Amino acid sequence: MSASLEKGVRVLKEMIDAPIASYLNSCVHCGICAEACLFYTETGDPKYTPIHKLEPMRRLYEQEYTLLGRLARMVGLTKPVTDAELAEWQELVYNSCTLCGRCSVVCPVGNDIVYMVRKMREGMSAAGHAPDGLKGAVTRTVKIGSPMGVKLPAVKAQMKHVEADYGIQIPLDQEGAEYLVMLSSMEIINFPEYLGAIAKIMRHAGKTWTLCSEAFEATNAGMQIGNSDLARVIVKRIVDGAEKLKVKTVISPECGHAYTALRWEGANLIGRPFTFKVQHIVEVLEELRLAGLLKTEGMETDRLTFHDPCQLARRGGVIQPQRNLMAMIAKDFHEMPDAGFMNWCCGGGGGASAIEEGEELRLEAFKRKKSQLDAVKPHRLVTACANCRIVLEEGLEHYQMNLPVVGLTETIAEHIPDPVGND
Amino acid sequence: MPISNDKELKAALAALTDTERRQVGTLLVQQVFDLSGDARIKGALELARRADAGNAELAVAAAGVNTARVESFTQCGRDTDWTAQAAHFVARAAQECVRPVVDLGTAWEAAMQARMARICQTLAAGEGTNNTEAEAQYRALEAFLQAKGRAS
Amino acid sequence: MDQLQFLTWVRGTGLNLTLAIFVLGVIWRLIEIYGLGRKQDLSAPRDVAGASGWHTIYRRSIPPPGMLKLSPVSYIGGYVFHVGLAVVVFLFAPHIALVASLLGPTWPGLPSQVVDFVSVVTMAAMVAVLADRITKPAKRFLSTFGDWFTWTLTFLPLLSGWLAVHHLLLPYTLMLALHILSVELLLIFLPFTKLFHAFTTFGSRWFNGAVNGHKGVPV
Repeated sequence: MSASLEKGVRVLKEMIDAPIASYLNSCVHCGICAEACLFYTETGDPKYTPIHKLEPMRRLYEQEYTLLGRLARMVGLTKPVTDAELAEWQELVYNSCTLCGRCSVVCPVGNDIVYMVRKMREGMSAAGHAPDGLKGAVTRTVKIGSPMGVKLPAVKAQMKHVEADYGIQIPLDQEGAEYLVMLSSMEIINFPEYLGAIAKIMRHAGKTWTLCSEAFEATNAGMQIGNSDLARVIVKRIVDGAEKLKVKTVISPECGHAYTALRWEGANLIGRPFTFKVQHIVEVLEELRLAGLLKTEGMETDRLTFHDPCQLARRGGVIQPQRNLMAMIAKDFHEMPDAGFMNWCCGGGGGASAIEEGEELRLEAFKRKKSQLDAVKPHRLVTACANCRIVLEEGLEHYQMNLPVVGLTETIAEHIPDPVGND
Repeated sequence: MPISNDKELKAALAALTDTERRQVGTLLVQQVFDLSGDARIKGALELARRADAGNAELAVAAAGVNTARVESFTQCGRDTDWTAQAAHFVARAAQECVRPVVDLGTAWEAAMQARMARICQTLAAGEGTNNTEAEAQYRALEAFLQAKGRAS
Repeated sequence: MDQLQFLTWVRGTGLNLTLAIFVLGVIWRLIEIYGLGRKQDLSAPRDVAGASGWHTIYRRSIPPPGMLKLSPVSYIGGYVFHVGLAVVVFLFAPHIALVASLLGPTWPGLPSQVVDFVSVVTMAAMVAVLADRITKPAKRFLSTFGDWFTWTLTFLPLLSGWLAVHHLLLPYTLMLALHILSVELLLIFLPFTKLFHAFTTFGSRWFNGAVNGHKGVPV
């Protein structure tokens, strides 16, 4: 066994706990997980069946953790996990899985398949079998601090630009602010309007907030590739920043996996509960709305629908707030079929959009999203994840669908009136 | 009248007709066009410059510019090529210029997106955050007003 | 060994051996699986009524929105044969008498014509589920020797029992003995095959529901 494979197998073994053992023993090969997975439904290729992604882990579990399996291994009746097999599994564990979690909510015996894929990735990356695109994102995170190579000057440049555009000062490193706003690289690079929207909304609601020069990046490449050590480094940076600035709440941006990483995995990664709250921006906006601090004016009149990012809704538990917020500013809102907690993935999450060799597959899987949109025929599509936005736009462009995509936060901000005497 | 800050820029834009706003927007995008060089954007800007640009023609140009915009997104997790990203913002700026309906915000949006393109270029060159595109935009608008005989 | 000796053996020694293996096997496997434990979740929970491990244990029995039409034979066929098996096993007078003789408790059964009908429907459902496994791409792809073997282990008791009651195929004594043997084989293999889902489904649904319930998502 090569050094990498040995490490991978060891890590994979360490991942196995009672839930995984229960799941692996419960699977009855019913194939219902496949029917919930867009990579299977749109390609018809059974190799994309979710539970199949775990086959090397299942065999390892049998051989290491069951009496009969260990006996079988002793007499040479088992098939060991090999480097070649893990290499073959790379496409199944990464390119064709966005960690969307639909499989986990349909399995009749209750298997949490996405939980297992997440752990499988730890073994895969330790064995060296992760896609180059993700490896690059990880290297950049370690060396530069951001998976996309975004450094503080870029953040400052965007801050200056947004200040000019919106006429509002962007606070940096303000101790004692109520909210610490995190950004994802995607927003810094592609969507400066997100920061502007935050500034406008916070001013309107009378809330104090700040960016942090040492911790502005929310995207967690460690989580996507399956490297908990790296995931921990990124979370720790945010925790240190939040504690140093003594904020009450850290706001996770319009990004799916950043929320999952910080809100749900963060405390477990650093080994202690957080001393501050973590909320997705959508949750913050909803809280402001409930407190009567978000007084919007006017409505969007075109036909709108909402794409629920998987990590926010099904995996994050934020399902109703975005609907309440849409109701504030949308006159003609229509839900897609399967909207909400059963929504179909855009096809690009979990690091998938960083995998160049997976692009063709993603575009094929997009047919499912296309069919949802064809059923509702909106004029515009609203969502709350920067990656979903781009993946959706690319898919729409590929299928020649003329449908603009906008972010929820910036749309709400457009309906916040400017303060009187401030123009 | 000299324009020396964004407040004055916005005021000057507000005083223009819709057609003139489209033309000013185009002018400002033209200043950063080198950061893209895309033929679809070039064609769109040429069209937007004409006072008689029809809705059907604008729609065709808009589709081409949109494709250029979507093609040039930096995807999540990829290494950022700031030079390529500059081209993305040129496309976004150009998109403002070929909207069927122009309003108060159109030229301003084009200006902002053009500035983002310049920011990307300065980041690519490692030149820090000093953005002089705003100044260049003020000069361009002053020249436009002068030519129209409104530099009172 | 003649038929009667065979029958006596499966009713006596065979049954004792089977029950020992079954009970010890189930206990051992439960320890082997759940003894691995899991780490505590340190993230702040989101409290939503109706979202918990316990809720998922029963809620997961209902097909999630949109899924029934995507896999109707799995759901409908699956329910019919599971419920049918339960009816045949627990509501047939001879079976109830067996349990009473071993453990004590007794309860009323269903008329034997009803049980007869249910066993035929159950067998038909099992054949449908088998056909589905052969024809549906994802199922066929996933299927291993274990799937065909366990199907056979589950089907044979139904078939042999039905044949015995109707005095078909083989002399009654032999048919009955084979029926009991087939049940014993089913019980012996149950803890060590996918049939163990009979026990682990509850744990799996609970873990799944707990993890998602922690985030406030009722699954």
